Amino acid sequence: MDILTTLSDSIQNGNHDSIKEQVSTALDQGIEPVVILKSGLIAGMDRIGEKFKNGDIFIPNVLIAARAMSSAMDILKPKLVETGARPAGKFIIGTVLGDHHDIGKNLVKMMLQGKGFEVEDLGINVPPEKFVQAISDDTDIVGMSALLSTTRPLMKETIEAIDRAGLRDRVKIMIGGGAVTGEYAEQIGADGYGADATLSAELALKLIAR
Amino acid sequence: MNGKERIITALEIREPDRVPLYIHGINEKPIIRIARNLTDDLPEEKEIYEMDAVEQVKLLNALFLLHEEYEIDGFTSFEIGDMVNIDDTHIRDPFNVVYERSPVGIPVACEHPISDSDDLKKYRAPLPDPRHLLLLNLARDRFKDTKAIFWMMRGSFVRSWRLAGMENLMFKMFDDPGFVHDLAKVVLEFNLASLEQVHAAGADVLIVEDDIADKNMTLVSPDQFREFINPYNRVLVEEAHKKGMKVIRHSDGNLWGILDTLLDSGYNGLNPLEPQADMGLKKVKDYCGDRLCLIGNIDCIELLPDGTPEEVDSTVKQAIDDAAEGGGLIISSSNSLHPGVKPENCVAMFDAVKKYGVYRK
Repeated sequence: MDILTTLSDSIQNGNHDSIKEQVSTALDQGIEPVVILKSGLIAGMDRIGEKFKNGDIFIPNVLIAARAMSSAMDILKPKLVETGARPAGKFIIGTVLGDHHDIGKNLVKMMLQGKGFEVEDLGINVPPEKFVQAISDDTDIVGMSALLSTTRPLMKETIEAIDRAGLRDRVKIMIGGGAVTGEYAEQIGADGYGADATLSAELALKLIAR
Repeated sequence: MNGKERIITALEIREPDRVPLYIHGINEKPIIRIARNLTDDLPEEKEIYEMDAVEQVKLLNALFLLHEEYEIDGFTSFEIGDMVNIDDTHIRDPFNVVYERSPVGIPVACEHPISDSDDLKKYRAPLPDPRHLLLLNLARDRFKDTKAIFWMMRGSFVRSWRLAGMENLMFKMFDDPGFVHDLAKVVLEFNLASLEQVHAAGADVLIVEDDIADKNMTLVSPDQFREFINPYNRVLVEEAHKKGMKVIRHSDGNLWGILDTLLDSGYNGLNPLEPQADMGLKKVKDYCGDRLCLIGNIDCIELLPDGTPEEVDSTVKQAIDDAAEGGGLIISSSNSLHPGVKPENCVAMFDAVKKYGVYRK
């Protein structure tokens, strides 16, 4: 088995210990860091995303895959920086004000990282102004999560705050979580709705490609 | 029939005189807003922890009153007085779990006392405190056996992840399975002692409240559920049945992946059957309505907050058409009556059960 396939398998099986050595082996073999990232690590996370979307695996499997990805990136990231490789995009994510639920948000974050995004996680209970402040020149997408129907209106308020700050045209906005639908995303003027973690990451790639 | 007889009959999958009506959970604001139809003696709208003792008594009275006047057949009781204030926004439970208060929902666990096996060895688990049964005692004395008294008990998964953190618990399922089992045993020991107390205090129905799914799927795999969680909850089912209590399983979300396991575990009922999570009443009734009483399903995400009373009326009628035949249906909302629901829609739900839910023999 070639080392890139081994890396992809290690991601899928959550082998966070052995994967560091495997990344070093791949680098020793002269494989470009960006190829290791895309054809090894991201390929593995893509399979995880697909299996999760199809209901073949569950959150704990995604967690251990993301942990393995993080271990691998400890070795690979300095090499990527040296070679000037850039992330797929920059994504700001958070659960809206009043809502303290973060499982879904964390899963989306893992899937985004698995697609090569740089993700800034603002955490839970995030007020509109904090989303606004976090937007920088290189921010591509702002993602908001809400599980509770009572906190859903905060998504609209956050979009309005981004608009008032004159930043609405600079970023795409995605929403997700148990309390929202694609229809609601349209109503409040978001650019997209992520029905689950895998679809959210796929949508993020589509949005930055436009 | 009185409310208790109605509930017990439905849980035995037999037809009572009418479909029973039940409130699984309700926040302060909807209590006050619904009770405005019944009394002026109400506190201002705020959270219970912001109320003084007089206001808290008024709130409790309003809760009891609306159960009486709208003929709600069961009453949900749970531990009260068990939390200690740390500061304005944080509270601590007897297990030493710290929660952050939320103005729009239940407090969320944010500090977990047990990370690993070493922590668990040093951990001193609490014993259930009979003083925390106050709500159950008051309800029993108020309703005097005319309504079924439910007791909400946190199950193995929820209590374990609050103790250890959810992501950590999931990692441990791979890294240290023995820890996950040992933690579940600590939880079970507490729950069994608590069961003794709530049974002695007169509870009729045990709710094993153990959210294990989101709207798409279970949070852990069905195999992990069968290995780490269900065996411990199943002991509660068996022990409660030995005491003559009924047992219902509460979990949000899509439960199809573990429904056969739940059926095999001997539960009498399942709640809250969220329509958005593919837990449609007709589909579940067709699958297992002869073995499991169905409780809930009236949508509290879109319908009760944003719908009209007429839409609620027709939804309840449809639910009864779909699942009442042969018994085994209790109408309730698809989760708690939260601050976003319209009071007139809640009243429409209560009224519709009495309008359409009478069994004709």
